[in-house]
Amino acid sequence: MRDLIVLGGSSHPALTKMICKNLTIEQGQVLSKKFSNGETSIEVKGSVREKDVFIIQSGCGNVNDNFIELLIMIAACKTASARRVTAVLPLFPYSRQPDIPHMASVTGAPSISTKKDQYTYESRPGTPKPLSSFNGPRDPSLTRPDSSGLITPLLRGRDLKDPFREITPRDSLVPVGTPVDARGKTESGYKQWIAQNGTLIANLLTTAGADRMITMDLHDPQFQGFFNIPVDNLYLKPLLKHYLIDYVPNYQECVIVSPDSGGAKRATSLADALGCSFALIHKERRIKTTEGVKAIGPLGVTSGLSAVNHHPSPGTHTTVSMLVGDVKDRTCVLIDDLVDTSYTITRAAKLLKDQGAKYVYALVTHGVFSGDAINRVSKSAIDKVITTNSVPQNDNLAGLGDKLEVLDVSRVFAESIRRIHNGESVSMLFDHGW
Amino acid sequence: MSTNSIKLLASDVHRGLAELVATRLGLKITPSEIKRDSTGEVQFSIGESVRDEDIFIICQIGSEVVNDRVLELLIMINACKTASARRISVILPNFPYARQDRKDKSRAPITAKLMADMLTTAGCNHVITMDLHASQIQGFFDVPVDNLYAEPSVVRYIKETINYKDAIIISPDAGGAKRAAGLADRLDLNFALIHKERARANEVSKMVLVGDVSDKICVIVDDMADTCGTLAKAAEVLLDNGAKQVIAIVTHGILSGNAIKNINNSKLTRVVCTNTVPFEEKLKLCPKLDTIDVSAVLAEAVRRLHNGESISYLFKNAPL
Repeated sequence: MRDLIVLGGSSHPALTKMICKNLTIEQGQVLSKKFSNGETSIEVKGSVREKDVFIIQSGCGNVNDNFIELLIMIAACKTASARRVTAVLPLFPYSRQPDIPHMASVTGAPSISTKKDQYTYESRPGTPKPLSSFNGPRDPSLTRPDSSGLITPLLRGRDLKDPFREITPRDSLVPVGTPVDARGKTESGYKQWIAQNGTLIANLLTTAGADRMITMDLHDPQFQGFFNIPVDNLYLKPLLKHYLIDYVPNYQECVIVSPDSGGAKRATSLADALGCSFALIHKERRIKTTEGVKAIGPLGVTSGLSAVNHHPSPGTHTTVSMLVGDVKDRTCVLIDDLVDTSYTITRAAKLLKDQGAKYVYALVTHGVFSGDAINRVSKSAIDKVITTNSVPQNDNLAGLGDKLEVLDVSRVFAESIRRIHNGESVSMLFDHGW
Repeated sequence: MSTNSIKLLASDVHRGLAELVATRLGLKITPSEIKRDSTGEVQFSIGESVRDEDIFIICQIGSEVVNDRVLELLIMINACKTASARRISVILPNFPYARQDRKDKSRAPITAKLMADMLTTAGCNHVITMDLHASQIQGFFDVPVDNLYAEPSVVRYIKETINYKDAIIISPDAGGAKRAAGLADRLDLNFALIHKERARANEVSKMVLVGDVSDKICVIVDDMADTCGTLAKAAEVLLDNGAKQVIAIVTHGILSGNAIKNINNSKLTRVVCTNTVPFEEKLKLCPKLDTIDVSAVLAEAVRRLHNGESISYLFKNAPL
């Protein structure tokens, strides 16, 4: 193709190679090395004057290092008179926007996990137990599922936490100068908040000189609005749809499950496309309790919903997971855009199996699997993980073997690059895949 | 307008200089927390309100993962900006990527310019730095840049610790001639120059001495010492030409790679660096290392900047 140059960063050379192969062009040569003081040095070998340059760099490995490398590459091409520079970020770095930082460290996944031999897959302090093991008195009126049979919102999260919403004085959970409470407030009433990095990352890319962005399955679709340049957000959905139709027996019978409420839309759209039913796992974090399990017993539990609290001492934080929908004797397909520590997805799988699910697939667009995740997944209730090569998967394949299936996204990216280069529509890729 | 006050912020790594500046100013560093997840993404939160305050972020960048530090700093700046700080000044004593300041070959990036753009994009209103590799980098910014000099502190160090009447100031390359000549003038000393032909970055080849150094204490001055290969070779050249002893004074002692080994094996009597770059651990490994504390200069610059006073006094004088 005329005037098209594809360059690759050091984060994922294999994907760059495959994209170039699909485009039937030679990959542009870039020399990327480190000065001895740790600074990155970039040298673009071929001329890029008046060329249409695409730079591929995934947000994996050492994220910050790779991101700065990308910025320097963009700036190098811009100063070398490239006509247009497009940043291709299969996994967009810093796309996860944290809400209240400190709570995650208390109830959620730790930022770095160490390798262990045994996992409980319990939320700390408790993932719900299966219904059969629940011996509390049950109100029959509460067990009736609603007409759709899928969603039984008889017991709301608010009702659950109200009985024990007592705020106790907070001990020093956060190693910051002033102590903060569950809502991130200090004693003086100042609400601690966390920096939102989205706009910054977008502005940095624009500042470096990127004219266009291509990415896949952005965590927040709103992210596109942070940019002043066009962002093409590709979807993995068509590929996943093909996979389910081709490889999952009786795919119409399976249940698409979203492991958290944020991903509900992603799950429903796939369920709609396939005509499957849908279920949702809802995590209620940041609840403070002073009473034990007894507090929740009398409230009863509906057929598709279970919630149990275990906590070692009064005043700690608990996690309540609730499954909304019926999965008994069904094949479940968990869908998420990113798996990092794998806490969410492995806990979800356990909850599904406890609720009587037959087989659990996990569809993940970006399988980062950092820290101990691979070990965790291999010992979990997940029967099969389907992910893509948006980040390097060789190590993960070695760790998970047959349990992991990798879909190739290089064709989607190659086709979008071809279409953008030729000024054709990209939207067709959203529905049909490539 | 409400009164606003100085708030000092620093990353959780390399707080040494920030602590010193804070002590000098009689302030506490504003509590903040940085969390990194397993892929290295940074989450930053500030422990108290910074609304309408005068923020100074002190960032020491050493020889480890420069890019991590840079992105961390950008996130800190942006956090303060979105938290409605009145002014955000960044104290970057050792400006990262300062050496990539020109298009030295085809399709090479001007990374120093990119750094400047990134800092302003993140929301930085003022930059304080020290001994910029090329002072033209100030022009890359759309915001004011105060380039402080380590020279007054170096002058004091030489006067206090070296029998400087016997000394001669040496510039290890032609680029640093101006810096060395300026220092020689201040001390009323002679000055010599070593000319080197550099083959590739971080490597040194042939060296020629211009000037007479016989029976002198040679003080090599430079703005940056990386692997120290240049300094070691320069010391050999000087001793071969009859110098009594060789001392090196550098502003930014990055001391990466084999630097410590190079210094220990070299004929240098002493290597003196300012504390713009964190090198506390290296100080233990190498008995020849010595430090000049520049926190007083930085603290005074912060105070003057906050009160809207002139900074230029600091160009010639070092506060005690």
